[in-house]
Amino acid sequence: MTPTTMTVAVALAIGAIACAGSAQAQQAEKLYLFNWTEYMDPEIIEAFEAEYDVEVVQSYFNSLPEMTAKLNAGGVSQYDIIVPSGYYVPRLIQSGLVQKLDKSKIPNLDNLMPEFADPAFDPGAEYSVAYQWGISGIVYDTETFPDAPKSWSLLFDPEVTGNQPFSLMGDGQVSMGAACAYLGAGYDCNDPESWKAAARLLLATKHRNTFSGFTDGTPTLQQIQRGVIRAGLTYNGDYLQQKEENPEAFETIDFMVPEEGTEMWVDSMMIPAQAPHPELAHEFINFILDAKIGAQLSNYIYYASPNQAAVPELDPVLTQPPVLPTDEDRANLAFTPSLDGQNLQIFQQLWTEVQSR
Amino acid sequence: MADSPYPLAPYSHSLSPDTRHLLWSVAPGVVWIVIFLVLPSLYLISVAFMTNGPYGQPQMPLSLASFRQLAGFGFLGWSPGNLYTLLRSLWQTLVATGLVVLIAYPIAYHISTCRRQWRAIMLLAVVVPSWTNQVIRAFGWMNLLSPGTPISQVAQFFGFIGPNMGLYPSNFAVTLGLMYNFLPFMVLPLYAAFEKLDTGLVEAARDLYASPLRAFWHAVFPQTLPGLLAGTVLVSIPAFGMYVIPELLGGGRAMMLGNLVASQFSGGSNWPLGAAGALIMLLATLGGLYAMRKVGKRLGGGEEVVI
Amino acid sequence: MRRSAFRRSLTLFWWLMVAFLYLPLGVIVLYSFNAANSAAYFAGFSLRWYERLLGNDQLLTALGNTLVLGVASSVIALVIGTLIGYGMYRHRRRKLGWLIALIYLPIVMPDIVFGISEMAFFITLDREFGVLGPSLATMIIAHVTFQIPFVALIVYSRFVGLDPTLFEAAKDLYASPFQRARHFLLPTLKPSLVAAFFLAFTLSVDDFVISFFTAGPENATLPIYIWGAIRRGVSPEINAIATLMILSVAIAAVISLLFNKESRRN
Repeated sequence: MTPTTMTVAVALAIGAIACAGSAQAQQAEKLYLFNWTEYMDPEIIEAFEAEYDVEVVQSYFNSLPEMTAKLNAGGVSQYDIIVPSGYYVPRLIQSGLVQKLDKSKIPNLDNLMPEFADPAFDPGAEYSVAYQWGISGIVYDTETFPDAPKSWSLLFDPEVTGNQPFSLMGDGQVSMGAACAYLGAGYDCNDPESWKAAARLLLATKHRNTFSGFTDGTPTLQQIQRGVIRAGLTYNGDYLQQKEENPEAFETIDFMVPEEGTEMWVDSMMIPAQAPHPELAHEFINFILDAKIGAQLSNYIYYASPNQAAVPELDPVLTQPPVLPTDEDRANLAFTPSLDGQNLQIFQQLWTEVQSR
Repeated sequence: MADSPYPLAPYSHSLSPDTRHLLWSVAPGVVWIVIFLVLPSLYLISVAFMTNGPYGQPQMPLSLASFRQLAGFGFLGWSPGNLYTLLRSLWQTLVATGLVVLIAYPIAYHISTCRRQWRAIMLLAVVVPSWTNQVIRAFGWMNLLSPGTPISQVAQFFGFIGPNMGLYPSNFAVTLGLMYNFLPFMVLPLYAAFEKLDTGLVEAARDLYASPLRAFWHAVFPQTLPGLLAGTVLVSIPAFGMYVIPELLGGGRAMMLGNLVASQFSGGSNWPLGAAGALIMLLATLGGLYAMRKVGKRLGGGEEVVI
Repeated sequence: MRRSAFRRSLTLFWWLMVAFLYLPLGVIVLYSFNAANSAAYFAGFSLRWYERLLGNDQLLTALGNTLVLGVASSVIALVIGTLIGYGMYRHRRRKLGWLIALIYLPIVMPDIVFGISEMAFFITLDREFGVLGPSLATMIIAHVTFQIPFVALIVYSRFVGLDPTLFEAAKDLYASPFQRARHFLLPTLKPSLVAAFFLAFTLSVDDFVISFFTAGPENATLPIYIWGAIRRGVSPEINAIATLMILSVAIAAVISLLFNKESRRN
């Protein structure tokens, strides 16, 4: 081969890549689902695939910042369904990353409990449909902490934590909220002054010897199982799911709702602005809202269902704490505030500061 | 030199056939690297001078806001967080490179003095671990340094860490991970230097100077300098921009520049700030390349220093 | 006497370093056969984590992506890199500083800057012109970019090791450049090309950062999958996949070495 022939070969190879790229986009019907890890029953996916004769491609994220980053990195035209938490919904709508739902294509919307039909983060539920809801709370080892107070002091007060390793949540807004709650400003604190105090507390906390890191909710459960930490922040449903899977390891591991208050979240299904298969995405949302499927989903992933019609089919474990909080605990729950504009930038600067120092 | 680095030139008929041949043979590669690496880097640099949009996307007008932010000036006055990150990156790079040099010197010398048929195998033994994925290597250290593992228990026994704790996650684990990752990059060029060592000169030095240390300093060290320099560039520049190791082994107290940059493109979502951080790494890269060429030439090693 | 003590301590130091280098990998291999889900103790030999791998569709997809990416990028890089290596050799008496600098750029540039600048570039191209959105194609492009220099350097060093008069002889023997390439250059280069291909392939399989930032949603490779699995929480399955990867890299390394050796011997 002369250099010239080789150049031609390269040109051909480049052409081949380009074709491969475009061919990929034109393949048969697939639904691209971008979801939290451990948040779906594989049998539901199989049922959907069988009923609609499509293939479901699942991708996963561990935190909302990660999800948003992927969405910005081209995901907006590559995923059909995303499942963000409430406080990210407004910023997704405002930055044009999601599309309005065609409610006529989702008849099962009637199955939703009334309180989920008009959420504060998406008035009229024009863009989002509730998927599941849950609580972020403290998971801890009862052997290490036999007299653990029902309080954030387990993490933030060095006297209470003692020399035990612990972690905080990787999502800055949840960790900041927890610090705010401990300082008495409430989990849903939303002003720079409270944030600054919370950031100072987080900085002091992270420089304690036994702090092991900012860890996302699901990995926290793995770490506590393996003894890397003795206390941390996680989600109630993931806790139950892991406990069910591995009862021995979780014998002495408990979940609590601190009385200073903590996060209640609603995860919602949304369709990205340039989703490749919006029709199918609507079908999928409708499918999840089905009474039977809704119950199957909650029974599998151990989260509370927003689906009224599914309630009769739910396992008993889903109708008691920690899935459904007691009335007393419920009074202490708050949504994570949704941030935008200057507030968002101030928050992010403070959070970067906490991580850097 | 008449030929330009840009391969548009082959269309000009005033060039000699020899020059045309050169340009044709290197054109595909040069065009590829220019389009898919130089151009993206230039784009990233331009992003550093843009304004941060409401959700982290770069916007006009041009400004220096991202550099002010990188220096710590924000909505809340000055704060040292980013400088901490920068200093931590420098410190980790310095410590890891220093330790790697200390390990690599005797190792490279040892290999060069072994029997010829062993040398290739010994070099292979040094290099093979670095051919496995760096995520897997970091994961190996996570396994080794977690609380309750023998190494952590030994460290506890000597009081380096508190009870119930492990050596991972920590800044120490990051240093260790960096050393582990980059050791081969130092051993190889140093070995090349030792292999070319003028042994007559060393013998003469042994007669000339009383202590082995002085003999080393005057006769051996200057000859290995090109290798040391190449190794330092190959270790320190990627270490300075490391992302995976602090992320996996650091545990929230070990953020380095690479993590700051990555987080601005993901969670923090401030592209211009991230690009400004990347610009610092890019400058360090170019500086390293330049220094290597300059000093390499002065030492007579020429271009082949690294190869 | 003193000299042999020095030698012995050097040998000891060497073996300590070998232990340091292989301990983390050995631990992964060991725990991949651990019956218990623990990093702290070994509960007995078991193949359960390997059995779990077999039924893991995502993992198999990731494996497929890794292979396609590795082979496609290595083939392209082989062609382009060989041309550069050849050009560099033929014109080694010219001032090629700019070319050398350009070739070292992908080697020396930190992964994260490499990956992020490509990501930002591709995303912006996709948004403005609708081409080159993150996908397998963008990953191949990025991988080729960092593979080219290594291929070029291997081929170049092979040429440097040849007797220059061979080229003259070939010129006399074969009239056309095409014949020269076919009957002289390619056969001479063959072992180096195989070595370069395997090196490029290894580099591709090893890369995480650049793949991570240029991948589309459907393009997770094995390293990306492992990264996700570690971030999700440490599962012992990771030990099993990692063991398989260590094994395959070791095999590729040995092949590359053998061919490179052969190329030197000829």
